[in-house]
Amino acid sequence: MHLSDVLDLSRIQFAMTAIFHIMWPILTISLSAFLVLIEVLWLRTGNVGYYRHARFWSKLLVLNFAVGVVSGIPMEFQFGTNWAEFSRYSGQFFGNILGFEGAMAFMLEAGFIGVMLLGWGRVSRAVHLFATSMVALGSSISAFWIMVANSWMQTPAGVTVEGGKIVVTDYAAAIFNPDMVWGVTHMWVAAIETGMFVIAGISAWNLFKRRNPEFFARSFKIALLVLVFAAPVQIWLGDSSGGSVFDKQPAKGAAIEGHWITNRPGAAASWSLLAWPDQKAQRNDWSIEIPGMLSILATHTLHGEVKGLTDFAPADQPPMLPLLYYAFRVMAGIGFAFMLLAFWTAYVVRKTRGSVERLLEQRKLLLAWVLCIPLPYVAVEAGWIVREVGRQPWVVYGLLRTQDAVSTVAASSVTLSIGMFLCFYVVLLITFFVLAHNWLRTGPDLTLNPPAPFKTQPPAVVTKS
Amino acid sequence: MDRSTHAMLAVTWFGLIGLMLVFYVVTDGFDLGVGILSLLRKRREDHDVMIQTIGHVWDANETWLVVLGGALFGAFPAAYAALLQDLYLPVMLLIAGLIMRGAAIEFRHSVSHGPIWDKVFGIGSLVAAISQGVILGKVITGLTPGPMNNAFVTVSAIGVVAGYSLLGSTYLLKKTVGNIEQWSRRLALLSASITVAAAVVLTAATWFISAVGHDRWTQPGVFHGLIALGSVSALAFAYLIGSLYLGSVRGPFRASVVLFVVSFAGLAISLFPNFVPGKVGIFESASDTSTLVFMLIGIGLIFPVMIGYNLYQYYIFRGKVVGGAHAGE
Repeated sequence: MHLSDVLDLSRIQFAMTAIFHIMWPILTISLSAFLVLIEVLWLRTGNVGYYRHARFWSKLLVLNFAVGVVSGIPMEFQFGTNWAEFSRYSGQFFGNILGFEGAMAFMLEAGFIGVMLLGWGRVSRAVHLFATSMVALGSSISAFWIMVANSWMQTPAGVTVEGGKIVVTDYAAAIFNPDMVWGVTHMWVAAIETGMFVIAGISAWNLFKRRNPEFFARSFKIALLVLVFAAPVQIWLGDSSGGSVFDKQPAKGAAIEGHWITNRPGAAASWSLLAWPDQKAQRNDWSIEIPGMLSILATHTLHGEVKGLTDFAPADQPPMLPLLYYAFRVMAGIGFAFMLLAFWTAYVVRKTRGSVERLLEQRKLLLAWVLCIPLPYVAVEAGWIVREVGRQPWVVYGLLRTQDAVSTVAASSVTLSIGMFLCFYVVLLITFFVLAHNWLRTGPDLTLNPPAPFKTQPPAVVTKS
Repeated sequence: MDRSTHAMLAVTWFGLIGLMLVFYVVTDGFDLGVGILSLLRKRREDHDVMIQTIGHVWDANETWLVVLGGALFGAFPAAYAALLQDLYLPVMLLIAGLIMRGAAIEFRHSVSHGPIWDKVFGIGSLVAAISQGVILGKVITGLTPGPMNNAFVTVSAIGVVAGYSLLGSTYLLKKTVGNIEQWSRRLALLSASITVAAAVVLTAATWFISAVGHDRWTQPGVFHGLIALGSVSALAFAYLIGSLYLGSVRGPFRASVVLFVVSFAGLAISLFPNFVPGKVGIFESASDTSTLVFMLIGIGLIFPVMIGYNLYQYYIFRGKVVGGAHAGE
C-alpha cells in the first residue's frame, strides 16, 4: 500500500463529500432567508397568502435541511480521519473556527428549526418569526465561519509556524485574511442566487402549467426582484475575488486563465476566450485570444503584470488545468446569463405592469426559468472546483502541501468509506427527488388558515391536526 | 506562571469538552434509544408516536456531537487527529448510522416507502450506538488490540446500547400514554439491568486487568472520588427501580440521566490527564494559550445561551404525545 494511494483516495473522498454536501446548505441559507421575508410580509400586511407561502416553501426546506445535516457530519470528522496531519498542523486556528461554527451557527439552526417547523400554533406569531430568523441567521453565520476557515487556507495570515504546527499570533489578521471578505460575500450571494432561482424556477413551472397562478406569480416576482440586485452584485464580487486571486495566489490565477508567460513591463497580457492548456508541454495546445485583455481583467490596468504559469516550477503548479480552465468559464458564463435573464424578465414584467395574465403568456420565458433551476448548482460546484483544485498542490497555500497533510490509514479503509458514501448519496439523492416531486405535485394548500393567535398559555399536550 | 496558566486552560477545556460529551450522550442517547426500541415495535402507528416524541429535538441533540468535535479540534488538535485517525472504521460506522437515521426521520413521511424508512431509522440508531460503544471501549483500552481488549470493547458496545435503551425507554414513558407507556416501563427495567451489569463488568475489568487503569484508580483522591460516584450511582439505580415500580412519570428518566452523568464523571476522572490512557495526554495535545483563551471567549460565553434555547425548545414541546397521525405534518 503506497501513501499516494491513501492520498488520492482521501482527495477523492473529500471532493465527493464536499461536492455533495454544498448543494444543501446553499438552499437552506437562501430559503430560510426567504421565509423570514415572507413571514415579515405576512405580519405586516396580514395577507394570508404569505402564510400559505411560508407553509408551502418550508416543506421543501425540511427535506433539504435533513440531507444537509446528515451530509455535513462527515465533513467535520473527515479532517481528523483522513487529514490528521493537516488537523495537527492547523488545528489551532482551523479547528478553533470549526468549533465556533458548531457552537454559534449550527446549534442556533438546530435549536430553532423544531420550533420553526412544528411550532405553528404552539408559539405566538412573533416568536415564530424569531425562530425562523434564528434558523436563517444560523445558516448564514455558518457560511461565514466556514468561509473564514476556507479563505484562511487560501491566503493564510496571522500565524507563525513553530515546531511543525501553526501558532496564532494575530486573530484579527487570521480571520480577516486577504481572501476572507471576497470568499464570504461571493459564497453568500451565490447561496442567495441559488435559492431565488429555485423559487423562481418552481414558480415558473407552475405558471407554465397554469396551476395557482396568483399564488406562484407572487413568489416569482419576489425572487425576481431579489435577483435583479443579486445577479449584478455577484458579477462584481466575482471580479473582485478574481483580482484578489491574481494578487495573492498568482499560480491559481494563471491556471484558470491558461496564461503561461508573464507579460513584459509596458506590454499587456492577452486573454484567451477559449483554449486547451497542456501541462506537459507547458503551453496551450490552441487558443482564441483577445490581445491585452487579461491585464485589464486581472489588474484593472492597461499593462498590469500578470504572472505566467512558467514562472512556477511544475511541482508548484495546480494540477488538472483543463478542468480549472473550463470550470471557471462555466461559472462565469452562468453568472452573466443569470444577470441577462433577470434583467430581461424584469423588463417584461414591468412593461406588462405586473399583470399575471400577461406573464402566463410568456411561455418561453417561463420555460427558460424552469430550465435554469440546476444552473446555480452547476455554478457553485464549478466555483468550488476553481477554488480548491486551484489551491493545489497546497492545502494551506504556501505553507503545507496536500501530500503532507494526509492521515496514516489503510487504503482499504478509505476505499470502503468511499463506497459507503457513494451508496448513501445515490439513495439520498433519489429519495430527495421523489419526495420533492410529490411536494411539487401536491402544491400549496390554499385553504390553510393560520392558527388563531392565543393570549394565554399554549396547549400543554401535543395534539394532532 | 505561563505554564500554569496554560495547564489551567487545558484542564478547563477538558472539563468543557467533558460537559459537551455528557450533553451529547444524554440527549442524543435518549433519541438513539427511542430509535433502537422502535425496532421492537411492529405497528406503524407506534412508530409515529415514538418518533413524534423526538421529532423536534433529535437534530439539536445530534448537534452536540458537532460542537464537541469542533471544540476538540480547536482546543486539542493533536488529540482530535490521533483519535479520529486511529478510530477510522468505527467513526465511519458512526457517521453511517447517523446518516441513516437523520435521513430516515424526514423521509419516513414518504407515502410509498414509509415503513422501510422506519426500519432504516431503527437500524441507523442501533449502528450509531454500537459504534459509540466500540469507540468508548477502544479509548479506555488505549487503542491497543488483543483478545482481552476486544472482549472489553464488546461489553462496552452492549453497555452503550443498553444504556441508550434505558434513556430511550424512560424518556418514552414520560412522553407517551397507554400501551407504549406500559411497554416502556417494562423495557426500562430490562435495559437498566443490562446497563448496570455491563458497567460492573467494565469496572471490574479495568481494576483487575488494565495496568494503567489500576494505577490511576489507586492514586490519592481518585479512589475516594470514585467510591463517592459509585455510591451516587447505586442510589440512582435504587431510585430508578423504585420509581419504575411506583409508576412515576418523570422519576425514571431523571434517575437514568443521573446514572449517565455519574458514569461519565467517573470516566473523566479515570482518563485524566489523558484522552487515551498512556497515549494522548491533554497537556501535550492542547493548543497554545492564545487559542484556548480565544475559544473560551467565543464558545464559553455562548455555552449558557445554547443551553438556554435548547431548554426552551423542550419547554415548547412539553407534555405527552397522544394521537397517531404522522409527526411533523
